[in-house]
Amino acid sequence: MGLKEKLHSFKEKNRNKKWIPAFNAIHTFLYLPNETTHNGTHIKAADDLKRTMNTVIMAMVPCLLFGMFNAGYQHHLALGEIQAVSGGFLSAEFWTLDNFMVGFWKIIPLVIVSYGVGLLIEFIFAIINKHEVEEGYLVTGMLVPLIVPIDIPLWMLAVAVIFGVVIGKEVFGGTGMNILNPALTIRAFLFFAYPTWMSGDKVWVHGADPRVQDLAAGAQPDAISGETILGSLAQNNTSMIDTTADIWNAFLGFIPGSIGETSTLLILLGGLFLIFSKIGSWRIMLSSVMGAIVMGLIFNFVADSGIISESSKFYGLMNTTFWHHLLIGGFAFGTVFMATDPVTASQTNKGKWIYGFLVGFISIMIRVFNPAYPEGVMLAILLMNVFAPTIDHYVIQGNVKKRMKRLKVKTA
Amino acid sequence: MEHIELFFKSIFIDNMVFSVFLGMCSYLAVSKKVATAVGLGAAVIFVLAITVPLNWLLDQYLLQPGALSWLGAEYADYDLSFLSFIMFIATIATMVQLVEIVVEKFSPSLYNSLGIFLPLIAVNCAILGGSLFMQSREIETLGLAFNYGVSSGIGWFLAILAIAAIREKIRYSNVPAPLRGLGITFIITGLMGIGFLSFGGMLTGGDEEEKPATETAINVNELETEKAKELADNTKIIE
Repeated sequence: MGLKEKLHSFKEKNRNKKWIPAFNAIHTFLYLPNETTHNGTHIKAADDLKRTMNTVIMAMVPCLLFGMFNAGYQHHLALGEIQAVSGGFLSAEFWTLDNFMVGFWKIIPLVIVSYGVGLLIEFIFAIINKHEVEEGYLVTGMLVPLIVPIDIPLWMLAVAVIFGVVIGKEVFGGTGMNILNPALTIRAFLFFAYPTWMSGDKVWVHGADPRVQDLAAGAQPDAISGETILGSLAQNNTSMIDTTADIWNAFLGFIPGSIGETSTLLILLGGLFLIFSKIGSWRIMLSSVMGAIVMGLIFNFVADSGIISESSKFYGLMNTTFWHHLLIGGFAFGTVFMATDPVTASQTNKGKWIYGFLVGFISIMIRVFNPAYPEGVMLAILLMNVFAPTIDHYVIQGNVKKRMKRLKVKTA
Repeated sequence: MEHIELFFKSIFIDNMVFSVFLGMCSYLAVSKKVATAVGLGAAVIFVLAITVPLNWLLDQYLLQPGALSWLGAEYADYDLSFLSFIMFIATIATMVQLVEIVVEKFSPSLYNSLGIFLPLIAVNCAILGGSLFMQSREIETLGLAFNYGVSSGIGWFLAILAIAAIREKIRYSNVPAPLRGLGITFIITGLMGIGFLSFGGMLTGGDEEEKPATETAINVNELETEKAKELADNTKIIE
């Protein structure tokens, strides 16, 4: 008797035990279960929840690996140990084992904590509620390490994950029922509960904080601290966008930022993969980019026509070229992996256009107008998550009305 | 520009529900269906749009310190602002009666579905809050007061619309039994509040962060001068 049958008979034997959902979850994760639906209508399809989730995770893996290299690179760069990259995407200075190991040892604990704590809660709730463990957390648990600063303490991450999974998801009945994206709920919780760890100019590069103290103590200021481009622009300082973070570096991702958000190129590849496998909605991604471009163009127009003076605190961000906005910060990551979350986004096709457009529009607006939050994508998506059911409701009502009219014409 | 700023500010930044927590009772109770929520929201917008400018006129020409000066010089130093609550409530109650009559006449189905909550708009804190904020924020012109009434009504309308759509969506969710109904609504409201936080501090240019710092600095200075005075007094006594 093979392992597969043994597991199956073990499951049959313990069918009525309390902890059986936990066993089932591990069993399903390892093997495709050896049973089929017996009665009722059912749809035969290749993409069950597990496969959907795994596809999204595969799309994120390049970002994670790049994040590990980039963490080490930024760390060494900030300490002045290596030179800035010069040879394009495949520069030898970037893809070194040394860089990778620094990032690896910083990021793997984040991944473990995120998955460990989150899945533990999922298991507990599944056992209490007597339902199967759902695979929904697989993606959330992967997203969370990618959207936090690298030096975040592990206990903070654990607290935030508990909050996000319990309040953001389990109280609504688990996967598929939540109204806000759980990963973003976790990040928003961190953002508002521990603001000093989540924003500012020191958190984005591992080891940047002691470096700043060195500088204050009189060390040679030969290296920058770990400030993001948006942070420096919000202070009306355009030197960074002209030098260290020019368009090319921002596109390839050699800039400080949250772990997975920096490389627009790899996110773009992940996005294409999601569109190609029909997991992510191209409508949302496209309309969100459109929304951001429209808002960026409006701001560029305002800045160019001289309505707003150059000394204004909004000028630096307003004057940023509209397509540059797409490359910096978390815009690309949010658009591809967060806004397209099928549970919390609009469900109707027309609704997806409206939803995506507003996500892009509002995120650039928050970026420019709200000095408290240099990054607007997270909050824009959360806000639109709140309004997604409203949009859906009106789209559906519109369709109902249209069909009623058609029916009337037909029957009359 | 002033109008646009006030409009935007009172819808999103100073949202009646998510930033000052007013009008929660009807917000929580009448948000089970979108259609009803829209009706109540429209009624709130209407009532606010009428009562805030009316109360502005009352405040300007009757209640404020020196408001009665149009009667003659001897009335110039009268201060009737202690009557604000009574006068405002009276205006609001009258207007709500009017709305009730209109709604009953033109949309009996909405009238029935709103039930007791239509007359209860009279004591909806968002309405009285609108008038009192108008007074305390010293809104300058009648036009701005009207703008303020309409836009804070729209803010409330958006809030109840969003939560009603969410509650319709989660109707079939497997919410844990103890949380069903009001409990989960409170949690949703909190989560929606996180979404609306995105506008907090917008348009301020970081002034809000700087203010407390200066205040504490002043306090420290005051403390120091006080201490210095004490020290001086003590030394005098010793001498």
